[in-house]
Amino acid sequence: MSIQAFKKVLIANRGEIAVRVLRGLRDLGIRTAVVYSEADRSSLPVLLADEIYPIGPAPSAESYLRAEAIVDLAVEIGADAIHPGYGFLSENADFARMCEEKGVVFIGPGSSAIAAMGSKIESRRLMIDAGVPVVPGGRDPLPDANAALAAAKGIGYPVMIKASAGGGGKGMRRIDSADALPQAFREAQSEAASAFGDDAVYLEKFIEEPRHVEIQILGDHHGKVVSLGERECSLQRRNQKVLEEAPSPVVDEPLRRAMGEAAVKAAEAVGYRNAGTVEFLLDAHQRFYFLEMNTRLQVEHPVTEEVTGIDLVQAQIRVAEGHPLGPELDDIQIRGHAIEVRLYAEDPFRNFAPSPGRIDILRWPEGPGVRNDSGVYEGAEVPIYYDPMIAKLVVFGSDRDQAIRRLKRALTEMRVEGISTSTPLFLRILDDEDFKAGRLDILMLERKLASGEWMPDDQEDQGLLPFVAAAIAHAERQQKITTVTSTGKPTNGHRSRWREAGRRESVGG
Amino acid sequence: MELIVRRGERQEEIELDRKDDGSYRVTVGERSFEIDVASAGDILSLGVSDGRQFEVAVRRLKSRGHSTYQVSSNRGVDTVEVMDPLTYMLEQAHPDSGAGGRRVSALMPGRVVEILLEEGSAVEKGQGVVVVEAMKMKNEIHAEMDGTVAKLYVEEGQNVEGGDPLFEIE
Repeated sequence: MSIQAFKKVLIANRGEIAVRVLRGLRDLGIRTAVVYSEADRSSLPVLLADEIYPIGPAPSAESYLRAEAIVDLAVEIGADAIHPGYGFLSENADFARMCEEKGVVFIGPGSSAIAAMGSKIESRRLMIDAGVPVVPGGRDPLPDANAALAAAKGIGYPVMIKASAGGGGKGMRRIDSADALPQAFREAQSEAASAFGDDAVYLEKFIEEPRHVEIQILGDHHGKVVSLGERECSLQRRNQKVLEEAPSPVVDEPLRRAMGEAAVKAAEAVGYRNAGTVEFLLDAHQRFYFLEMNTRLQVEHPVTEEVTGIDLVQAQIRVAEGHPLGPELDDIQIRGHAIEVRLYAEDPFRNFAPSPGRIDILRWPEGPGVRNDSGVYEGAEVPIYYDPMIAKLVVFGSDRDQAIRRLKRALTEMRVEGISTSTPLFLRILDDEDFKAGRLDILMLERKLASGEWMPDDQEDQGLLPFVAAAIAHAERQQKITTVTSTGKPTNGHRSRWREAGRRESVGG
Repeated sequence: MELIVRRGERQEEIELDRKDDGSYRVTVGERSFEIDVASAGDILSLGVSDGRQFEVAVRRLKSRGHSTYQVSSNRGVDTVEVMDPLTYMLEQAHPDSGAGGRRVSALMPGRVVEILLEEGSAVEKGQGVVVVEAMKMKNEIHAEMDGTVAKLYVEEGQNVEGGDPLFEIE
């Protein structure tokens, strides 16, 4: 394959990942174009891009998911390639195929690899054939509850029921006994049908206290695939990752090598190229099992970038241009420790209620080892239509302890006002003894949340803070009103900065 | 100045004494603090005389009456009501005064996707009345007390802003 140097790339995404991709393109000197929905005209990526194209109304189905319109746009504006980011069209094989047919490079794997890994049942079958370890269990869709009962008996309880077209935890359930199976089966089927338009489900062994450890791989168009080490993503809520780190606190060099080789085999089995992630469950005995492959750039890719020194977005672009992966990638060394938290616009202590709205105040943390990949700015509006993740905060330290302290420092420095964010939850996690010791499993976060041990404690000294702060704010306000009414205008000569602010406010109307 | 400050079930009586230099002597029950105040916009820095500093953001929620504040710090976000003793006494004497019932407002912007109870229906504390969707998440908004749904301010499909009234329980 000859090398095609990109001059312009269309970004088919929004929010922080559109900004991340835009930065990667700019760092390579490539012109940036973005599509945007009506709700995103003033969003950060649109303000930063060289070229901007409206793609439809706010709902994603009428904008960011319009595959054909986006490919046609790329052709029309003369873009060499499309970067899909994650979510939206990134794992849509039809979209990748459409790009291939219309001569626009899709920055990602070939459509056949996306299709093969997109079905959980199909990918499992492929992995077994390729010698990649998988979780014990049936691999065929189960027609009814009776078939499921028979399969579960063979595997042994507890079992997990999963949607074959699944993702994001939809249609997924743990079943502890035969009694509970028929109802769980019906629920999983109907959830799968409504979420994915396909009610096919299958069963597998439920592994207790497993970790989620995934391997970042990179493949070129010349048949070479390399592993870039692992990420530990065990802290999850409703099967959505909350905090990720690299390296994993429990993966040593031999295990890293073994998992890396398995991941490369998995990728080679589908002729994979570009960046991808092979997810594994790792049990307490360091046995690992293939879970699924994500055929795109992951949300949590920055932690790998921090510990390997490789810019994954740039690597994606280079590979898509046809460049071969160099020998320097054959034996990547992991240096230091990186942790990422996903900043969601939601209130963790009010049942994670979403909190869209205007960001009135935004102060990002700075200083050594701190990186923020954000899709917002002060004054930006967080719309109600999309995923609530607004930014990712990533820290790098020489070891895990330093990274934890840095993350705590960064979160304490940060101020986001106008919307609620998940920050208070992260501070609880960082103070948790199990987390600090690296004792993690994929159910830990749900367990700790359910136990209520992280809820704000009213008895502690700081419990008085909101009361005292509100009382003082109220008194200051009364003071301001009194001063204004008694003299007709605010008095001067006072040192209170509050009053200065109040004066500006009243002058401004 | 004496104030009654309430957050959910918890209530504190706070005595504030503002000094000429703009700092406060704050007394809560047996405890007393000297607090220096600096502010920039909604951000308030409280410097306690023992050296501790707390940074909080205090926003007045206009749509929730004249004395409701949202206080956010690293420990989370709290909604706090501040009353002078007279208002408090009036409220104690006539618990149903004012709006005539307990009005429930939207905490955040979103779209009303379902109305679960009609006007006039009996409702128990904790029961869902309307469902508001934002960011692909559905949130059931519950009644805060037993009673009847006196008024529905919204209909299905309507967009709401944070602070907009949703319904009233009597």
